[in-house]
Amino acid sequence: MNAAISRLHNVQAWYLTAPRIAVGLFVLAVVSLLWLLHRQELEEQRVGLISDMLWVEQILHFQLSRSQEQLQLLGQDYFNGDLADGRFEPRLKSLLLNNPGITQLLLLDKGGRVLRGGPGPIGETIVGEKLRPEPSQQAFRLSRSTGNQVFSASYASGSEWLFDLIVPHFRDGQHLGSIVAVHSVKTLLSEQVPWWFAQKYRISVTDSNGVILGSKSNVEAGEETLSHRIPFDPPGYGLLLVATAYKAETSLARNLLALAIVGLGAGVLASLWAQRRHMQKRLDAEQALSNEYAFRKAMEDSLFTGLRARDLQGRIIYVNPAFCRMTGYSAAELVGLMPPMPYWAPEEHEKTLAVHQKVLAGQAPSEGVEVRLQRKGGERFDALIYEAPLIDAEGQHTGWMGSVLDITERKRAEELAQQQQEKLQFTARLVTMGEMASTLAHELNQPLSAIASYTTGCLNRLDADNFQRDEMRETLRKLASQAKRAGHVIRRIYDFVRRSEPQRAPCDMNEIIEDAIGLIEADARKRGVDIVSDLFSGLPSIQADRVMLEQILLNLMRNGMDAMQTTEIERRRLIVSTAPAEGGLLVRVTDHGSGITQEAAEHLFEPFFSTKPEGMGMGLNICRSIIEFHKGRMWVETNPEGGTIFNFTLPQEVR
Amino acid sequence: MTGTAFIVDDDEAIRDALTWLFKSRQVASRAWPSAEAFLADWQDTLRGCMVLDVRMGDMSGLELFDILSERGSQLPVIFLSGHGDIPLAVAAVKKGAFDFVEKPFNDNELVDRVILALAFGASRQERHEGQATLTSRLSQITPREREVMECILEGKYNKVIADELNIAMRTVEVHRARIFEKMGVKSAVELAQLLSGRK
Repeated sequence: MNAAISRLHNVQAWYLTAPRIAVGLFVLAVVSLLWLLHRQELEEQRVGLISDMLWVEQILHFQLSRSQEQLQLLGQDYFNGDLADGRFEPRLKSLLLNNPGITQLLLLDKGGRVLRGGPGPIGETIVGEKLRPEPSQQAFRLSRSTGNQVFSASYASGSEWLFDLIVPHFRDGQHLGSIVAVHSVKTLLSEQVPWWFAQKYRISVTDSNGVILGSKSNVEAGEETLSHRIPFDPPGYGLLLVATAYKAETSLARNLLALAIVGLGAGVLASLWAQRRHMQKRLDAEQALSNEYAFRKAMEDSLFTGLRARDLQGRIIYVNPAFCRMTGYSAAELVGLMPPMPYWAPEEHEKTLAVHQKVLAGQAPSEGVEVRLQRKGGERFDALIYEAPLIDAEGQHTGWMGSVLDITERKRAEELAQQQQEKLQFTARLVTMGEMASTLAHELNQPLSAIASYTTGCLNRLDADNFQRDEMRETLRKLASQAKRAGHVIRRIYDFVRRSEPQRAPCDMNEIIEDAIGLIEADARKRGVDIVSDLFSGLPSIQADRVMLEQILLNLMRNGMDAMQTTEIERRRLIVSTAPAEGGLLVRVTDHGSGITQEAAEHLFEPFFSTKPEGMGMGLNICRSIIEFHKGRMWVETNPEGGTIFNFTLPQEVR
Repeated sequence: MTGTAFIVDDDEAIRDALTWLFKSRQVASRAWPSAEAFLADWQDTLRGCMVLDVRMGDMSGLELFDILSERGSQLPVIFLSGHGDIPLAVAAVKKGAFDFVEKPFNDNELVDRVILALAFGASRQERHEGQATLTSRLSQITPREREVMECILEGKYNKVIADELNIAMRTVEVHRARIFEKMGVKSAVELAQLLSGRK
């Protein structure tokens, strides 16, 4: 049982655990998928960024290359003297317009002095210590010595970071001068980087120390976002072009989806947990229920009290094992039966039915009913039944619940105790009688002994012819007084007997008989004897001692029942009848017992004659004495149907 | 007839009737109404027999019998028993009572038994007294004399005795004379008769 339950428990636990694991795995898979997608997206972004980056760098490179070419041309034209005064300015303007990254253009002679330039104020010299920043001067010197175009390192000017492109001009190996194009990093970026790029990335230029020299936008990109850097060459000098992607606008739908998936996963887990709790509770409840059921079943099975439930029509709907044991019928045989029940004793059928109907009418006595029932084998047993209404869970009265106690043993014990008591009383009576007889004998012996001694003494003297008259007279007087003494003893006995003389009063014989039957009925039922009274109404009233007559009747009835002990149960009938008789009435007690032999009949009324082993042989003798005291007559006849008839007459009351 | 019948019965009529009866057969009697009264009068010198009722007021006849036995009374006892006392009376006889008679009794038969009891009592008394005399005489013999007496009882001559006990012939003769004197006999044969059944 327990093993089965625990196995069930295990299976259920498995049922509960598997979905949770599945859901967990599912959520994990989805999350990984999302992460992979995210990674892929980042990768794509990075690739896009790199290519965009390269593209921008390309543009910048191209722009700077073009600037170099144009500056080269300008230098040729200028130093060849092809540019008249009036033509220089427009040429400058057009160049600046075409190369937005250039903020200022300076023409220098071979010494580095500024010849011309614009826009804005033009410094004195580029080589001098004051006017141009150091990187620019270095670049100038480098370009003059190498004869190549040189980019300067970046330098700060005001809030801006600048770098210069120095284009030297030579003719026949002679340095004629240089052109300096001052580039602003910021302007270069803002003019050359297209809007769509700026929208996607923050583009900036930093030096090798990470100092931002300029950027297309000032909006800060968030931390940990995608960024890429490539060398910005030219101008070189460790400058880096850095593009940082603005936080990619992730797809709302996708996020919502992910959120939904996670949320649903959590929901499923939560519901699983809730279900598990619910299941656990149900399991606990089931366990408790089965325990309770097992307990109740054990209780019910071990009960000694029989339980039987009936519906409102009296049909048996339930019996417990104790009831089955008691009656000998199985539950299957009993359930569904309507009265009369097979366990009702046939001889008590009507009484049992009456009890049954009383119960159905709701008048079951609360102190219980004693009923004689029979077992399957026909054996009778006494049961004490308590009935109570059967109320179901809805408060509906659905039938009757009866608890049945087998009280046969108890009754038997009670009867045994009573018999013991009677025997004891009987013995006590005998002892008392014996003592009385002994005392009586002693009391009588004394004077009798004295009388005998006196007499013998007298005779001895007379025989010896040796006596004196006075002496003899004196002794004879003593002798007489001893005789008187014996007489006193006898009188005392007589007085004692007289004290228990009957108290006579007018009474009704039929009433006395009914009372006597009432007294002996229980005993008769126990012995299976049926007492039938056949009483003549209108009997003459009699003058009698009621208690004594009752004793006589009880004695005669008990004798009759004793005589029928071996008679078959159907014939155990004891008939008590009354009839008017000449000058009074006649009472007959008829039994169907073993009868009385002729020899026994002759001694029947003699004292100390008994046919019973425990009999004192006083019963009938006393009965006849009482009847004779009442001036009646008592005799015995043989019952022609087998058995004996005791008769007695009593005279009518004399007024 | 020697001795008296001592009647103890709490019923005056019985006492009086028995006295009347015994007197008619020339048996002397004396009566007491209770066991206690008799005990108060009892002396070792009483000679006769007792007629004792089993059932009496305070002290029963049987108790009195036990007390008398303890005191060394030699009186034979006849119990008068009533209805239901017979087992008690039988027990008493087993303890040494002379007899019991059931009430109401055949009176002359009772008297016959009383006479028997008196005779028995007298002879027992005599025997008892003889024994007592012998015992007192024997107690006067010295240990040395006893040794000599045993030799005499074995029928040895004085010379043999003297040799055996390592004493002079003359001394044996003196002892012999002393022993005869103390035991109240005149010859060795008489001494042997007196001490037969004794030792």
